Amino acid sequence: MTISRRNFLATSAAGAVALAAPSLARAQQLPRNVRLVIGSTSTGGDTYQNSSIVADALAEHLGINIRVDAVGASEGFRALGRDSRGTTLMMFHDQSYLGNLYGREGYANPFEAYTVGQTVSINPGNAYLVPKSSTYNSMEDIFNAAVAGERVRVAIQPGGVSEIGFSAMKNAANVRAPGSADNLVAVNTGGQSDKNQTMWDDLADCINGSIQANEQFTQIDDDTAMKFVWITARQATLQQAPAEGMGNTTREDLLKYATPATSVTLDGSQDFTFDKEFFFLFNKEMDTAIIDQLDEALTAIYTEGAIQERQLGSFFIPNFLNFADAQAHLQAKNETYRNVLAQIS
Amino acid sequence: MFEFITPLFCLLIIGGTFLGIIFGSIPGLTATMAVAVCLPLTFPLGLENGLALLLGLYVGGISGGLVPAVLLGIPGTPSSITTTFDGFPMAASGEGEKALRIGIVSSFVGGLISLGILFAFAPTLARFAIEFSYVEKFLIILFALTVMAALSKDLLLGIFSGVLGIFLSLIGRYDISDGGNGKMRLVPQEWDYYLDNGFSLLPVLIGLFGLAAILEQAEIGVPKGHSREDLKVGGESTFSFGIFRNQAGNLARSSFIGTFVGILPGVGGSAASLLGYSNAKTFSKHPQTFGKGEPAGIVASESANNGLTGGALVPLLSLGIPGDATTAILVGAFTLQGIQVGPLFIGNNPDTWNAMIIAMLLANVAMFMMMYIAIRHMALVVTVPKHILFPIILMMCVVGAYTINYGIMFDVWTLLIFGILGWLMVKLRLEVAPFIIGFILGPSSEVYFVKSLESFGDLTIFFTKSWIAVVLWILIIGSLVGSFYMSRRNADQNASGRAVG
Repeated sequence: MTISRRNFLATSAAGAVALAAPSLARAQQLPRNVRLVIGSTSTGGDTYQNSSIVADALAEHLGINIRVDAVGASEGFRALGRDSRGTTLMMFHDQSYLGNLYGREGYANPFEAYTVGQTVSINPGNAYLVPKSSTYNSMEDIFNAAVAGERVRVAIQPGGVSEIGFSAMKNAANVRAPGSADNLVAVNTGGQSDKNQTMWDDLADCINGSIQANEQFTQIDDDTAMKFVWITARQATLQQAPAEGMGNTTREDLLKYATPATSVTLDGSQDFTFDKEFFFLFNKEMDTAIIDQLDEALTAIYTEGAIQERQLGSFFIPNFLNFADAQAHLQAKNETYRNVLAQIS
Repeated sequence: MFEFITPLFCLLIIGGTFLGIIFGSIPGLTATMAVAVCLPLTFPLGLENGLALLLGLYVGGISGGLVPAVLLGIPGTPSSITTTFDGFPMAASGEGEKALRIGIVSSFVGGLISLGILFAFAPTLARFAIEFSYVEKFLIILFALTVMAALSKDLLLGIFSGVLGIFLSLIGRYDISDGGNGKMRLVPQEWDYYLDNGFSLLPVLIGLFGLAAILEQAEIGVPKGHSREDLKVGGESTFSFGIFRNQAGNLARSSFIGTFVGILPGVGGSAASLLGYSNAKTFSKHPQTFGKGEPAGIVASESANNGLTGGALVPLLSLGIPGDATTAILVGAFTLQGIQVGPLFIGNNPDTWNAMIIAMLLANVAMFMMMYIAIRHMALVVTVPKHILFPIILMMCVVGAYTINYGIMFDVWTLLIFGILGWLMVKLRLEVAPFIIGFILGPSSEVYFVKSLESFGDLTIFFTKSWIAVVLWILIIGSLVGSFYMSRRNADQNASGRAVG
């Protein structure tokens, strides 16, 4: 049998198309091995914990491998920017847009530079604490001290989630008594252990912390002991936490430090609140079919319900919003805090 | 009470320790990386079993670093830099097996002493550790930096090399959290993208110690490997436990130093072995032999860096604050299971606490047995012809550099840049050891110095902050005076030697 050149070429082309078809179809799906970079370098923090929970569930549901890499914000954004194939995804929290709003180097506007994706959970733990021996027992005491001309030093990690509560404190102080915010002074530190150490060194009167990392210090009675004065989460968010709360502190106890029981006013009529939310970020050029696939998979996972148990067990509030809803929600949140910061400054 | 001790628990410790030794033995791969890679596996294993695996990796990874340090002159981990100073000269003279055995026994003793301290005094020591503010931490780093002077062959050039190392370590973004302005510094604009976090330590380390040595050897003509007859292995090894008869003080002191440094969060493992080594040299009757194949140097370095393992767990389990980079990753094993470490952890979780102590103990025993048995074969690495060995080392260096930050090509370029720099430094009579010490300790010394001034106002705080600061100043001055005295004595001896000649 003789094969003409034309037939040979046609057969070869058809064969190539047939061979390529499955991989072309796969190109619109998450690949077999996915790298989920996170905006934190810590594997002991809430970003890693949340990302691992979601990665495990997704990997099992989709039958793929997902590895969580704690590379930090700068490297995470870069890795995401380099890869439009869907091999690299990112998970981070509100720091991704707050860093931009605070003008931190290395933080582009995530809504322009990347595609902001599905939300998965909230950490309601963002908190402020004072030493147990402190004369301040509440935010009211701190605001009164500021009004009385007393300098109150607050340890924060500048330029993001840790600072937003402090910015709100300053705003509230000014709403209550113009000028008193000058007496609330930021002490710039690094991670949680640095903030704790500034308190123990008597370099700060109040520190930013979290329910998870600091609750045990509220249960002891020595020089390292602390007490909560403010939890920034919305009341509605905290109410979704398990009733037994965290450690030896029940949910009812925790609610005493959140609005409305503890008020840090935004404008004299409503209180400032902040929920730290975790969400996906994608390369701007990534195929939207992958986003659809994730939407579908996450919807199924959250409908099944096991992930919520694991999240609640780690004191996170399940908060899945599909791509479209998450985009609208996070855009709105970004605008809200842009306005808050504008109001404060 | 000990229900957690199951065949799986023991198997995970043994497997973890073995894998850790492999990681530690490959230049560029570290204990920290081993723990990070295996962390996601711990969730399905459960807390006790997961910790067994990770603690095995931790102990194995720290200990494995001594193998390339001794046999290849490349520190497998930053904390085994000082092991190269005496281990490699011993290996070069055919006594690699002896050097390895000394290192392994020292690692084992250091690990056990620090474990004992962790078990007996964890909460008390953690309370003591928080007495160390930015000021005291800066002074400890300064004390470790004085080792530059002690290690310098030529005092002036050595200190210059150290300062150059500090200078290069400051390249990159000066973070606001570190007291900076958040801007890039010392970086040409077109390199901003690559040098945001400065040069990575591991590629710098293996470039200076690994690639530079290969370039140097290539320049003079690649030598043949040792023949088996040259080596003192097996029955010919001059190792005996009698070596430790005169080293009990050194062993105990260095183990305590390692444990103590581990207890202080943010000071780091390299400082532990540097301080251990420097003290051993100071207290030695023949300090001039250090750096030329002195067993006491290996004893000090290895017992101090393994002393770190128990020490770094003290603040983690008592305050929830990790003592070093590896224990910082270890926290993930707890949080993945939804457990918080903090001041109530030990009291609330006695089973997990017991499991950790037993796992550490078994990991140390497993490490000792595995490495001690395998030594004879490991020591034969030097018999591999260099034209085969060097390409293998080079490949390991490149792979290690590439993987250290999960696949950044610039880290391979860093390896090359610092390999060439290390080769040039020898020609310019600059000294690599002080340079790398400056490079490692530079960033933390700056952070603690700036933070001290930012927090306390002026320079007098470094002298008036606490009694700890005063003690540290005495040690710093003592170390400097000792170094100057040694340098003078060596210069005099050289001069009289020349006169006699």
